[in-house]
Amino acid sequence: MLEVVDLVTSYGAVRALDGVSLTVPSGSITAVLGANGAGKSSLLRTISGLVRPRAGTIRLDGADITGRAPEEIVRLGVAHVPEGRGVIAELTVEENLRLGGLWRRDRADQATALAEAYELFPALEERRRRPASTLSGGERQMLSLGRALMPRPKLMLLDEPSLGLAPLLASRIMALVARLRERTGLTVLLVEQNARSALSIADHGVVLGLGRVVAAEHPDKLAADAGLRHAYLGF
Amino acid sequence: MHRFLDLTLNGVSSGMIYAAVALALVLIWRATRIVNFAQGAMLMFTTFIASWAIDRTGSYVVGFVVALAAGLVIGAIAERVLVRPVEGGPPLNAVIVTLGLLVLLEALAGMIWGNIPRSFPPAFTIRGFDVGGSRLLFSPFDLFTVGAVLVVAVGLGLFFTRTNLGLRLRASAFDPEVSRLLGVRVSRMLTLGWALAAAAGSLAGVLVAPAVELGPTNFDVVLVYGFTAAVLGGLDSPTGAVTGGVVLGLVLSYVSGYESSALVPLASLVLLIAVLMVRPGGLFSHAAARRV
Repeated sequence: MLEVVDLVTSYGAVRALDGVSLTVPSGSITAVLGANGAGKSSLLRTISGLVRPRAGTIRLDGADITGRAPEEIVRLGVAHVPEGRGVIAELTVEENLRLGGLWRRDRADQATALAEAYELFPALEERRRRPASTLSGGERQMLSLGRALMPRPKLMLLDEPSLGLAPLLASRIMALVARLRERTGLTVLLVEQNARSALSIADHGVVLGLGRVVAAEHPDKLAADAGLRHAYLGF
Repeated sequence: MHRFLDLTLNGVSSGMIYAAVALALVLIWRATRIVNFAQGAMLMFTTFIASWAIDRTGSYVVGFVVALAAGLVIGAIAERVLVRPVEGGPPLNAVIVTLGLLVLLEALAGMIWGNIPRSFPPAFTIRGFDVGGSRLLFSPFDLFTVGAVLVVAVGLGLFFTRTNLGLRLRASAFDPEVSRLLGVRVSRMLTLGWALAAAAGSLAGVLVAPAVELGPTNFDVVLVYGFTAAVLGGLDSPTGAVTGGVVLGLVLSYVSGYESSALVPLASLVLLIAVLMVRPGGLFSHAAARRV
């Protein structure tokens, strides 16, 4: 589904990604782990087009999408749920959701997608006319997940979905991501600092350190590697 | 009592013009965080174009429509050609660009149409309505002014809140990066935002021109009051812009009528300072909520 080769991204003199290569197979959940500043968010931001890479290639289903604009990449079926969730606080819950599916222009399908989002997250339907600023952290995460699903993406880039959530809520979100994959065949590239909960649902684990891939293994092997755990995963 | 009614109606009518200018400034500020100092010159230019169209066709309606259309075009071009390169840069660059556009348009208008102010026709008579044997200081043209600005303000409000395009425009203004991730073509939305704002400004130009006459620098004062109204309303809120315009119009009308018209510029400054002391973000500010 997604193939990243030798990706280099820098902000001024700082190299955020220093030659990252990874593959995300179709229908899989791939977890990208690592400490703060390892380049996890930069990886997602480069894939979704928010940041132009200095070098390297990004391929989606074999097609080169390197350097294309984010509003074009989302049209290819890539949904990026940004860090801090990216809920537009001034808009209502329903406006946020609708915005996610607008580019598809198919009104009937948009209505169906909206109904599905409310079915998935009934709490959002109760608050549909409220400004998104009134939502709690967990509800905001649901809103940005629901919004990203509106155009029925093939690949979802999830940036720290459990950030700032209570442990119980975080594991509920993880279970939901796993369930979405089961149900819709969604491919997920999941970035997490909370390595333990991410590895619990992932099929593949990639560990980043200072902009490079330090390890790419089956989640069980990563979790079993004590050295890796202490140095990069923090558990 | 009769005088109070006169001054109130007069204040509402001139307040609506300030409201239209304030609306133009607020729409651009919301979308691009730029104060468009060229707004006064842009509406001057479109009013000259309207005047030219009225001379050619003899029809006020054609001139009116041409003014709004010219506003859309000039606003879009200004954003694409001049503002686009400085967007996201230091705010001072955008200020200098809009000031440059102000000087450019005023010079161009002088070269094309001359620097001597000329008259511009009102849509309807400016002779006040006769009510119960006495004449009001409120004419059919004033009524037209109030109606036209209300229609445009309410129309814009419905457009922003009820249509998908309006939703995209608002989203782009609030969070351009997230909007792009959701497939909104933000750069087109910015162009559209400038175009709509300039059209609202053009409306103010056509409405105020009969009173101030048409000349390259005659509209500078309208921009000053429009800006005051926008800041009164919080600079971020279209509803605030309209309210700020009406409040300013009323206060200035009372000061001018009961005291002296010489006090009007001072009164607008006093009103501005008084409001900002009580509510630093303006009457309708959401600024605190936005920054979270």
